Amino acid sequence: MRPWDTDLTGIELPETRFSRVVDQALTVIGRAASWLWVVLLAVIVVNVTLRYVFREGRIELEELQWHLNALAFLIAMAYAYRVDAHIRIDLVSVRLRPRLQVWIELYSTLLLLLPFIAVVLWFSFPFVAHSWSASEISSSPGGLPFRWLLKAVIPVAFALLLLAVASRLTRMWAYLTGGPR
Amino acid sequence: RPPGSAGTPVATISAEGVTERIHWRVPLSAPRSLPGAGETPRWFAEALDHASGGGVRIDLYDPGEIVPAFAVTDAVRDRKVPAGYTWLGYDQGKIPSSALFGATPFGLEPWAYIGWWHFGDGRALAEGIYARHNTKPLLCGISGPETAGWFRTPLNSTEDLAGLKIRFAGLGGKVMQRVGASVTMLPAGEIFQALDTGVIDATEFAQPITDKALGFSRIAKYNYYPGWHQPFSATHFVINLGVWEALPQADQGLIETVCMASVGRSLGLSEFQQAPVVAEFPELGVSASYFPEEVLRVLESAAQEVLDEEAAADADFEAVLDSQRAYKAVYGEWRRLAYLPKDF
Amino acid sequence: MTGAEILALLMIVAFIGLVFSGYPIAWVLGGLAVVFTGFAIIFQVDFAIPTNVDWFYTSMTVDRIWDVMENWVMVALPMFIFMGVLLDRSGIARSLLTGFARLLGPVRGGLAITVTVIGVLLAASTGIIGASVVLLGLLGLPAMLEHGYDKRLASGTVCAVGTLGILIPPSIMLVVMADRMSMSVGDLFLGALFPGVLLGGLYIVYLLVIGWFKPGHAPAVRSEPMTLRAAWDLTLAVVPAALLILAVLGSIFFGLATPTEAAGVGAAGALLLAALKGSLTRKVMAEVVEETSRTSAFIFGAIIGAVCFTLVLRGLGGDELIERALLGLPFGPTGIVVCILIATFILGFFLDWLELTLIILPLIEPVVRTLGFDPVWFTVMFAVCLQTSFLTPPVGGALFYLKGIAPAGVDLPVIYRGVVPFIVIQLVGLAIIFGWEDLATWLPAQAYGFR
Ligand code: NA
Ligand code: NA
Repeated sequence: MRPWDTDLTGIELPETRFSRVVDQALTVIGRAASWLWVVLLAVIVVNVTLRYVFREGRIELEELQWHLNALAFLIAMAYAYRVDAHIRIDLVSVRLRPRLQVWIELYSTLLLLLPFIAVVLWFSFPFVAHSWSASEISSSPGGLPFRWLLKAVIPVAFALLLLAVASRLTRMWAYLTGGPR
Repeated sequence: RPPGSAGTPVATISAEGVTERIHWRVPLSAPRSLPGAGETPRWFAEALDHASGGGVRIDLYDPGEIVPAFAVTDAVRDRKVPAGYTWLGYDQGKIPSSALFGATPFGLEPWAYIGWWHFGDGRALAEGIYARHNTKPLLCGISGPETAGWFRTPLNSTEDLAGLKIRFAGLGGKVMQRVGASVTMLPAGEIFQALDTGVIDATEFAQPITDKALGFSRIAKYNYYPGWHQPFSATHFVINLGVWEALPQADQGLIETVCMASVGRSLGLSEFQQAPVVAEFPELGVSASYFPEEVLRVLESAAQEVLDEEAAADADFEAVLDSQRAYKAVYGEWRRLAYLPKDF
Repeated sequence: MTGAEILALLMIVAFIGLVFSGYPIAWVLGGLAVVFTGFAIIFQVDFAIPTNVDWFYTSMTVDRIWDVMENWVMVALPMFIFMGVLLDRSGIARSLLTGFARLLGPVRGGLAITVTVIGVLLAASTGIIGASVVLLGLLGLPAMLEHGYDKRLASGTVCAVGTLGILIPPSIMLVVMADRMSMSVGDLFLGALFPGVLLGGLYIVYLLVIGWFKPGHAPAVRSEPMTLRAAWDLTLAVVPAALLILAVLGSIFFGLATPTEAAGVGAAGALLLAALKGSLTRKVMAEVVEETSRTSAFIFGAIIGAVCFTLVLRGLGGDELIERALLGLPFGPTGIVVCILIATFILGFFLDWLELTLIILPLIEPVVRTLGFDPVWFTVMFAVCLQTSFLTPPVGGALFYLKGIAPAGVDLPVIYRGVVPFIVIQLVGLAIIFGWEDLATWLPAQAYGFR
């Protein structure tokens, strides 16, 4: 069994009405965004061919490579959270009772993950705003314009992650209280 | 703001019994260990410490230790750090004219830039532009020309420029594109191997002493001059405007004076350091030579076109460029008359 | 010790403690940075203890996340993952391994040796640790388990061999180190080549010994006698995959592409081979891209968490704390180098290569130069220590990456126990390089010194 087949290591969490909707949406977004890797691959091949065969360097294509990479991995973070692919050291925790494991997960989420998301979200807004108001572009010769657009992926990605976290929180709560499924 | 925050740590007493008035975190845009570019901020920090008897201290941070190299000015603007030591050209994505404060293709010689900064319009222009970004730049270091690049094969004529795969940053890169070269912006860490295996035919990076430390002289045997794209490289101490205005006059004066000392010292260092490196090139099998005049002329006219286009797109860029050009036009005749010709 | 430094120490302790809660390290790292920023502000405001960390300072996390986004070299990571997953899902990896294994036939431990050989070849094409471990894990682990290998031996082999990628050039770690040490990247690449191959050789010797004394742990793969037909099948299986590795290595060595781009070229090659094999269905492609997303996301997630953590740790003076501990040593030059390496090895239990390279290396660089040691020799040994840090529990990148993709039954305790013999081999390799300086310094001198 792959780690993303369960919600936590070996524990099935009940779904809630909120989580069903959110998780469905995140899965669709995550799967769609995954195809960016194929686009990235194509851009690399085109760039190498242009430079080696036609002796024509395209800095736009070079920048497009890391633009696509950044976009794809940031968007994938929420999807990876949804399918629980983020790496865990479950050396000790797998030996604990499932309920205790879920309590630990709940408190860790509230005390560690949510504050982290809050800080990144909060400070990414001025970061994007400055870039937007200065009409920031690439400083490389022939580089790409609209840098604020790529910078805006940070708050978007962390907002998606926040949604994924909210969904998991409702599911953990449902598990712990045995409430509505 | 809490007391003793990132900008202004709580005061302590130095060994000399002086109260520590300033203790700042200062991020750099070039690592401290880099020969040349890394030495000047190190000296600057020591000199401030000594001159103030321990009352004014700055802790330097390499690029990436707290902020990335390109984000130094941003961090200062938002007062995440009170000041930074950087090459202003890194701001050109947001402040196009900043490129001209860092280096201008076919621009002024370093000492002429110092003159333009302090006695011409330079300083007022830079302060006006950077005030809009809530920062104050102090000219705090300058070095002579970079090399025009390391080539795997000789460059004999303008035909050799066509399709030349070269790594080239900034405005110079735009010029190279215009003359038909295939320009790439490989990250610093990938240049060496790309040059060694032939992914690129040539690269520009910095001054000879830095380039030698990076190993370019071992794999690309044709080293070209003059440093047309960067006749001077100026570095600045950038301070948050609010922080600067709140400083007592004595400390403002101290920082400005040490910066001026740093400018003179760094220019001397840069001239002193390159000479022996270039002198040992024949021994290493490196052929260091001047571009053919034909090539230089083509680059020059392309450079003026690129600069004109940038000026058309940005009013600040136009103002700075016009001022530099006007000064260079007057200065040129003096330079021609007063200095010895090159072969004397 | 100042109040801030006590916080820094507590931060490290809290990290080590919380990591074992089973919560993802990405969020433990990022979360602790935020929580300790809060503590630092409380220290300052309520107790007037200076800490020099506040929200303004911690907000630089965003600039540092952008720095990770902007890093072109990291584009290689998802591309090598894509290549690995595709080789796995299209069945190419399986035919390659079984083909190779058949060639090695009756040799006990032959399959693990095959993985090692493929791993060394991969190491010469990528410098990113997560990618090689994931690729080898997807390629070799299921095959070894299927043929009755001991789970610990199999997972230990994959982890150890996977980490060679960061030692054998090209390597992003060596690039960063050369930058920190102000030395030529080329020198360091060449300096690390023989030590890297030496370690690969030591692994093979160990696998042969295990195969000989404990055949149950590394059984010979039973195979039918070599017929002409079987030889043809083998050729069919091996040739395309070998071509693929050649495409990656070749595009680097013949100047077609940078290591970053070579990753993309390799991924495209894998796509082509899968298409030729007729196994490139839409379903397979969807699985491949989704798995690439999942794996890339958790690696980049951990990087982003670490980027925030080290910012705050450094702000609290954690780096100076480590510096003082190292420089206060009462030993002679060789003793100091040995101590530095031991300390690096121990710090490597908890920290990863980037922290160690960014924090420790600049601190000890002047010491090493003053003591008169060859910087290439020292840096290569430092690099071997950091490579080992990927293998040492509790925090070892290779262990987590493998855990993330391992089949059921291969959990962390199994992996932890599996890497122990390989950590011993690392130390043996380190001792050899320490005693035989030429291993690291001869090649750079030959290649560039007299040109
Ligand atoms: Na490698
Ligand atoms: Na470790």
